[in-house]
Amino acid sequence: MSAVRTAVPTPVQAEAEWAIETRALSKRYGGKLALDALDLQIARGGIHAIVGANGAGKSTLFRVLLGFLPPTSGTAAILGCDSQRLKPSDRRRIGFVNEEHTLPGWMRVAALIAMQRRLYPLWSQAALDSVLGQFHVLPDQHVSELSRGERAGLNLALALAQRPDILVLDEPTLGLDVVAKRAFLEALMYSNEAAASTVIYCSHQMEEIERVADNLIILERGQLRNASAPDTFCARVSHWIAEFPFQPPPPANVPGLLQMQRLDGLNHYVVLDQSAEFAEFLRSAGARTVNCMAVSLDRAVNSFLAKNHAAPAAA
Amino acid sequence: MLDLIKAELLRFRVWAIAAALLHAATLGFFTRVVDPLQQPLFVYQVVASVYVVLGLLLGLHQIGGYRRPNTWLHLLHRPLPAARIALALATASGLLLTVVIALPLLLMLAMQAGFSARVVDTRHLWLPLAAGLLGCIGWLGGAYALLAPRRYSVLVFALPAVFLLGDASGIAAIGVQWLVLIWLLGLLVAAFKPDLSAPPRAGIAELATAVPVTLGIYLLALLASMGYQIIWIALGSHPLNSTPPAGGFIETSRMRGDALLQAGLLQSRDDSAEVWSEQVELSEVVSLIAEFDAFPKRDELTNPAPLEFDDDERRVRWIFSHDRMLFSGVNLADRKHAGVLGSGSAETPLLLPPLPLDGERVLTSNTLYAYDSELQQLNPRIALPPSETFAAPPAPLGAALLVLSDRALYFYDRRAFSERSDLQISRARLALPAPIGSLERIDLIELLDGHLVSLVYGRAGVDGPFDAWQTLWQLAADGSAHEIARRELKPDFPLALRHYGWWLSPALHSLRAQASQLFAQPDPMRAHEPVSRPVAIYTLAAALMLLALVVAIALSRRMPMSKAHQLVWCGACLIVGLPALLALWLLRPASGRAAAAGSA
Amino acid sequence: MQRTQALMIQIATGDSRSINKQITDAVRMKIATGELREGTQLPSVRGLAQQLTINPNTVAKAYAELTTEGWLESRAGVGLYVAPTRQRLSESERERRLDDAVQRFVHDVVALDYPASVLQQRVQLALRALGVRKSA
Repeated sequence: MSAVRTAVPTPVQAEAEWAIETRALSKRYGGKLALDALDLQIARGGIHAIVGANGAGKSTLFRVLLGFLPPTSGTAAILGCDSQRLKPSDRRRIGFVNEEHTLPGWMRVAALIAMQRRLYPLWSQAALDSVLGQFHVLPDQHVSELSRGERAGLNLALALAQRPDILVLDEPTLGLDVVAKRAFLEALMYSNEAAASTVIYCSHQMEEIERVADNLIILERGQLRNASAPDTFCARVSHWIAEFPFQPPPPANVPGLLQMQRLDGLNHYVVLDQSAEFAEFLRSAGARTVNCMAVSLDRAVNSFLAKNHAAPAAA
Repeated sequence: MLDLIKAELLRFRVWAIAAALLHAATLGFFTRVVDPLQQPLFVYQVVASVYVVLGLLLGLHQIGGYRRPNTWLHLLHRPLPAARIALALATASGLLLTVVIALPLLLMLAMQAGFSARVVDTRHLWLPLAAGLLGCIGWLGGAYALLAPRRYSVLVFALPAVFLLGDASGIAAIGVQWLVLIWLLGLLVAAFKPDLSAPPRAGIAELATAVPVTLGIYLLALLASMGYQIIWIALGSHPLNSTPPAGGFIETSRMRGDALLQAGLLQSRDDSAEVWSEQVELSEVVSLIAEFDAFPKRDELTNPAPLEFDDDERRVRWIFSHDRMLFSGVNLADRKHAGVLGSGSAETPLLLPPLPLDGERVLTSNTLYAYDSELQQLNPRIALPPSETFAAPPAPLGAALLVLSDRALYFYDRRAFSERSDLQISRARLALPAPIGSLERIDLIELLDGHLVSLVYGRAGVDGPFDAWQTLWQLAADGSAHEIARRELKPDFPLALRHYGWWLSPALHSLRAQASQLFAQPDPMRAHEPVSRPVAIYTLAAALMLLALVVAIALSRRMPMSKAHQLVWCGACLIVGLPALLALWLLRPASGRAAAAGSA
Repeated sequence: MQRTQALMIQIATGDSRSINKQITDAVRMKIATGELREGTQLPSVRGLAQQLTINPNTVAKAYAELTTEGWLESRAGVGLYVAPTRQRLSESERERRLDDAVQRFVHDVVALDYPASVLQQRVQLALRALGVRKSA
């Protein structure tokens, strides 16, 4: 007697999709490869920081994800939807804030808010008021009359009020003064709407990143170099100072070398993924004294990215 | 969507009101100086161009501002279909252009009708609409040029240009404008998408883009033949610029009348040829060409020329009204109404709109009227059969008055015409042996008993495909006519160049002809001899079509298109020829199915 | 009812210690020196994050770490409180450390030539000042 087997249907997990997923995504401009076979997966929830030098491909990535640039090859999906085929209902779930804070300059603030409110059914006026209240913006002003910081605040308020599932910010605090910058970051981090959505924060200001990020994604020359918590990344990088009475080891032989400097007769090494055995290596290479330090996140990322840049010749 | 429309309207409201006031002021100024409704066609064409440019500038400014990557993203990244955004912008601009262009024109017409004695017909009321449509077409053109890929965006305007410069008149012309507007609007909506570099996705959008682009390529290629001719002129052997070949059409068209008749007589085998030859030496030769190319059409929006003439003795200006089919008089002294002018003493309305020839004669397409200043009436003097049209003004030759129509040459008694004032009957009629559109010139002399008439055919046959020949006829005193000689004229240009427009793409050649005739009445003055194409030309055209097919197959295999899509393009390249091949290369379409398969 | 006591700590970006570590170190120090007494309620995750202008998740992680280590305890629905000090070391470890400390002290004071009663009195004074329990 045989039991009839029936397949148990697995429940469809609609919420398990990645916030952002790219597979072998490449984008070429003429001879230059802005995105190079990028495989990126960003899970939903939390604040993900994307860091990279200018030209690392951050803005290109966002334009491809939002469907404004076609990829040369590979695929890109945002909230599980193909970027090249985003429907209006998909765009409703995606908020975007860019560094120019492009808003129609000729409209009045109140009119702009009214227009946005009618476009987004999930609009939360309370969210808008709480965010906008931190910036000195009057409803009768024309958008062109606002300062850059006020416009940034308005842009963020509009984006949060639409209660998006994912909020992408491309260098939003660029050019903002200290007060505006702080107000912007506070509004971003402490609003309930931001907490409910996935935030992708793109910047090259490490001070902000350090405060804001749950996940640190490093892009360099269109490739993914790191995706982990900032602490985890920082812990991988260490700063060693050694005194070499004779010839120091050539840079090519130093394992995990990111940056090397010679200051006041001492050799400074910033290295990646090296444990206490690195001290052994230095000693065996002829170091008389060896000291180790942790590095700040700023220094870690800088060294990481500087690895492929030209370094001054050893003194 | 309504929000977007309102926002754009508010954005430009100051500009729109200022421009409308400026426009109204300009119109007001011009109506003080001239009658804006009685201008030659050229003036309307210039003004129409101004409106198109106005719309174009607004489109370039507005869409240019949105075109920058950041503003484009802000405009299109919203939960609204891109098509609706496009329609919102177009609607807002359409309303703005209506206010700026159409309203001042309407105001001007109202002022003219209400406060002056000038004629304002129902047909004129369509002018503001036409002007507004042209402004919107300019806007759509500018917007599309900015948004579509640069490779082919400008070529798209070939088809609208052909339509707009076509022959339709009156309300039919408005119909053509609506067609162009809707076509361009469809193209704009298809081009309005987040990724501007992508080719149009839907099949119908691709078709709506491909057809004008192909026509644009064809027209550019036609222009290229001009370049070839310029090089030819530089080399010094161009037939029109140096000595034309002997026995050819150019030489014949430049001959003096008597030499032309002699050349014809040389071919004659008639006994009286020598006698006639002597008479040619002694007689006065009159040359006629078909002068009139446009008569006013009933209810057309503009005029080929001002439909007015002045009676200097009585200080009255007569302006023709299409509504009443009568001339309406304006007293030049006090600018008040001064009666009506019609046919005969009963002031009967005319059957067709007339063209004033000078202060004394008024011509409809088949009737010539003389203006009687004393009786203030028009007397019909010459009436052609209703199906015929005047081709040239009456010309005197000896005792006869020659009247050329599109079908025949009529001979009237000159003395009777000038002494009497009633309707004249022709004494003799020579039926033209070929359509008037091919007629280059007529030269004739008066014989002792009748007339000797030489007709040269082959107009548009210089660098065009038409045959050319000279034919000599004798018209006897009793009215009978027979051909006494025929001289074939050799083509001056190479065969390939003369048939260039056709063998390049027979399909586009006829499409262009059809497009310019959309909704239009056939023009009798353009009736041509049918073209005879030699076998060599057919072969050439067929060979090129096959070549286009072969290259198209190779090219389309490398593009990400579905099989059915490839088939359609290759079929089009076979039927249309090389221009379609170039359009395929420029448009470089991607099939939706292939793109979706790639992302799955 | 206990009100939340303000947490007077600073964090610095660009420091070689992560922000997480700066918070946990600061809280541990304050508890160890007695600035934060047992039973004091700590600021909420969001409140502290807003005070320091950092991501609330970082604060949450720091609090979680401190709770796991036993420095803080969470009272359901009410908040986080400073946990009563518990001995974290094993019995043998305690003995060993006490022995080490006594040996070190004895070796240090032997050369000073004080009588035993003076040494004992000094030690008692010092312990009283710290408020150490008198009985076992």
